[in-house]
Amino acid sequence: MSPLPEPLTEFERNARTLLEESVRRIDGRTRSRLNQARQAAVTAAAARRAPWWRGFTLMPAAGAATAALLVAVVLWQRQPAGELPLPDVARVSAEHPVEDLDLLADSDAMELIENWDGSFYEWAAAQNDASGESNS
Amino acid sequence: MPAALHGDVDLTDSSDQTRSRALNQFLAGVELKAFKIAQAGLRHEDDAHDAVQDAMLQLARAYADRPPEEWRPLFYRILENRIRDMQRRRTVRGRVIAWLPFRGDEDEDELDPIAQAPSPEPQPAQRLELEQAIGALERALGELPRRQQQAFLLRALEGLDVAATALAMGCSQGSVKTHYFRAVQALRAQLGDLYV
Repeated sequence: MSPLPEPLTEFERNARTLLEESVRRIDGRTRSRLNQARQAAVTAAAARRAPWWRGFTLMPAAGAATAALLVAVVLWQRQPAGELPLPDVARVSAEHPVEDLDLLADSDAMELIENWDGSFYEWAAAQNDASGESNS
Repeated sequence: MPAALHGDVDLTDSSDQTRSRALNQFLAGVELKAFKIAQAGLRHEDDAHDAVQDAMLQLARAYADRPPEEWRPLFYRILENRIRDMQRRRTVRGRVIAWLPFRGDEDEDELDPIAQAPSPEPQPAQRLELEQAIGALERALGELPRRQQQAFLLRALEGLDVAATALAMGCSQGSVKTHYFRAVQALRAQLGDLYV
């Protein structure tokens, strides 16, 4: 802006001189506070002018982190290759209902399994079948 | 082409730095006068500082990309709006406080004993007269209607021409001339011929 083009009266010149003198007498504390405010404003303007692509400076790191997370999720969800699927619990329970539970709960039955003598029990079962048929 | 890219980046940074320097230079040039103008309108040092700080920030955030020659009237327009807002807020607060039955002096600023202590330096008579003249002028300015005060300070202290003052005040150039003329008349009637 250009300075005042109109000629100033003596009163106006004196008033201006006094006002400029009052500005020169502003104390150091106020000057310091104004200086800080100015620096904050300049910083705000610079931050506002930051180009859009500066927002992508962290893109490589963010991309790597996202990829790692994706791989982890995929590995966690996926069943290991080569392993058979686990048996269906509901189906197994229907085929072998309570007797398995009895077997597991009976300590004598466990001893029986540990001292398994297959030929004797096959012979005993055959005897039972034979006697049943003869009775009928 | 890395060289060209580097060149582009440097050019952008250089442009930003140049603009930041220009803004810093502009604000450094107006901050003291702006503080005086805000102080005349608000009659409170901290409020005046807040008004100038807000005006600086708003100019930087909203208008830093505008041509630098537009900054001065824009800055004073923003400052004037801030001063008016603070005056209105203070008026409302004053009305509310006036209704309170008990109000102490807790809002009074504590006096700084160091600032209040007499200066050890001798005060020459001329310096004393100058201080008295400044004080009288500032008191007379404080009693002017706000628009007259603003027109006088923008023209006499900041040195804006009529067109820029009109832009800063948000009024016509004719109104600026009227406000300024009435301000000079009122000050002269109160102060007589100022001496320096």
